Amino acid sequence: MGEQNPKQRLLNVLHQEVADRPPVVCIGGMMNAAIVDVMNTTGHTLPDAHFDENLMALLAQDVARYTGFENIAVPFCMTVEAELLGSEIDYGSLACEPKISKEAFSSVGNVSFPEFKGLPDTCRANTVIKAVRKLKDKRLDDPVIASITGPFTTAASWIDPITFIKEMRTNGLGAHRVLEHVTEVLVEFASELVRNGADVIALGDPTATGEILGPSHFKNFALPYLNELIDRIHKLGAPVIVHICGDIKPIEKQIMNIRGDAISTDAMVNLKALKEAYPDLTTMGNLSTYLLEFGNPEKITQVTRRLLHDGIDIISPACGLSTSTTLSNINALTGTVKKKSKK
Amino acid sequence: MSQLKDKLFQDLTDAVVNLDEDKTRATAQQVITEGIDAFEAIDKGLTPGMETVSRLYDEQEYFVPELLVAADAVYGGLEVLRPYIKGENNGKLVKIVIGVIEGDTHDIGKNLVRIILETEGYEVIDVGRDVPPDRFVEKAKEVGADVIALSTLMTTTMEGMGEVVELLKAEGIRNRFKVIVGGAPLSQAYSNKIGADGYAPNAKSAARLIKRLLTAEPVVA
Repeated sequence: MGEQNPKQRLLNVLHQEVADRPPVVCIGGMMNAAIVDVMNTTGHTLPDAHFDENLMALLAQDVARYTGFENIAVPFCMTVEAELLGSEIDYGSLACEPKISKEAFSSVGNVSFPEFKGLPDTCRANTVIKAVRKLKDKRLDDPVIASITGPFTTAASWIDPITFIKEMRTNGLGAHRVLEHVTEVLVEFASELVRNGADVIALGDPTATGEILGPSHFKNFALPYLNELIDRIHKLGAPVIVHICGDIKPIEKQIMNIRGDAISTDAMVNLKALKEAYPDLTTMGNLSTYLLEFGNPEKITQVTRRLLHDGIDIISPACGLSTSTTLSNINALTGTVKKKSKK
Repeated sequence: MSQLKDKLFQDLTDAVVNLDEDKTRATAQQVITEGIDAFEAIDKGLTPGMETVSRLYDEQEYFVPELLVAADAVYGGLEVLRPYIKGENNGKLVKIVIGVIEGDTHDIGKNLVRIILETEGYEVIDVGRDVPPDRFVEKAKEVGADVIALSTLMTTTMEGMGEVVELLKAEGIRNRFKVIVGGAPLSQAYSNKIGADGYAPNAKSAARLIKRLLTAEPVVA
């Protein structure tokens, strides 16, 4: 087989077709690789790039060029969705990612549901959509991955998270109503991203973990909305990567019910064992971001080789990268995957 | 009387474990009506209930939503019972200043630790998330805290924890406080490195750690 280009390779893996080797990617959003080293080199910096589609597109390309990840990923935070719903955002700094400074509501009981009339022109969601369009127009070899925060996490960024998590038990109907509204908004955002050229949608739902929710709440409050969103994206023709944070053991049986095209996991998950248990699953991951920050290139190379040897389908970091991670360490990861001998 | 007392204590425990705040409050009210000692009801009714919930949480029978609802039941029971605690039992509570170090997005873990500690009878002063190191020191001095509990989920903000210890040393008040750390990227080794008193990987072990650190102290509740 001849060498595939990065877009073909990733799409083939996601469609369970033959690829010449595993891709090495970093999906953006909560897991973005806009590290300080890259930004200081190119001058395309955060937080400015959160607001400007040109800068956002340039920074996304810088990241791919310097890190060796085989995709372009936007945005560089996971607050676009909550902001769209009315939560207050602290935009952070060069080295520190944006965060929710105040959720729009303290409880599901006092949510007012505005009729959702599509994405306003001025929102940052639109900045991301425009950045995707710009990247698409460049006809790059790398796939454009647009990252979206999952329904449960977005709901828990719209409403005080501790209260929201509790209200699954004390006000289940209210929690469902919130999740339905959030999912509707996310479907619209995702659809625009696909229509404007995103090749792949990545969903990160870091509050909907097995450790926080357990199997029953995950099944009732996370899975149906995740699947609704995935189905709607699939209808538009884009594959979906789902990243699950934390230990998946409590929800392992549910993983096969997620209708995404690949499951990305945190570092503590034994992906090899997961693959053996569920051979149809397309696995992605899961190089420790702690190792990426504090390890050395030799050790990172060694762990990356093990992931390749274990037959992990897509190689990537396991979680959000620290902005002070060095380029030499990231390049040890991406370089090792690219050196894998062609079949 | 003793039979009724034992039954009410068991009812309190069961109500907490069954995540029933209304039942917990009603039973606590009955404790007061019957003239039963409020402190004993907390000690032998509410506390064993929360201990069982914590154990079920450790065993992954319960998860975070259950832990939170059980804590609300305990808070409800405490609200009813606390005004009736008499005499020496109502002495100085151990005070803990807790918060997430500067630059961090997440505070679910910190909130869980706070809730477990509160349901175990500590007075917890929550300084919130994204807190600069000097704010921890100021607050601990202001309230006369016994323990400073620092949390982070991000490697980029870990250094702020060491800074808290350094600030305490610089002011010559390091020995007045136990400093404990927790959060995903941390370890006991890191705790040792920055000169903290201990590390806890989760909410329950934070409570155990504090109990252990304070055992040698005269202020134990």
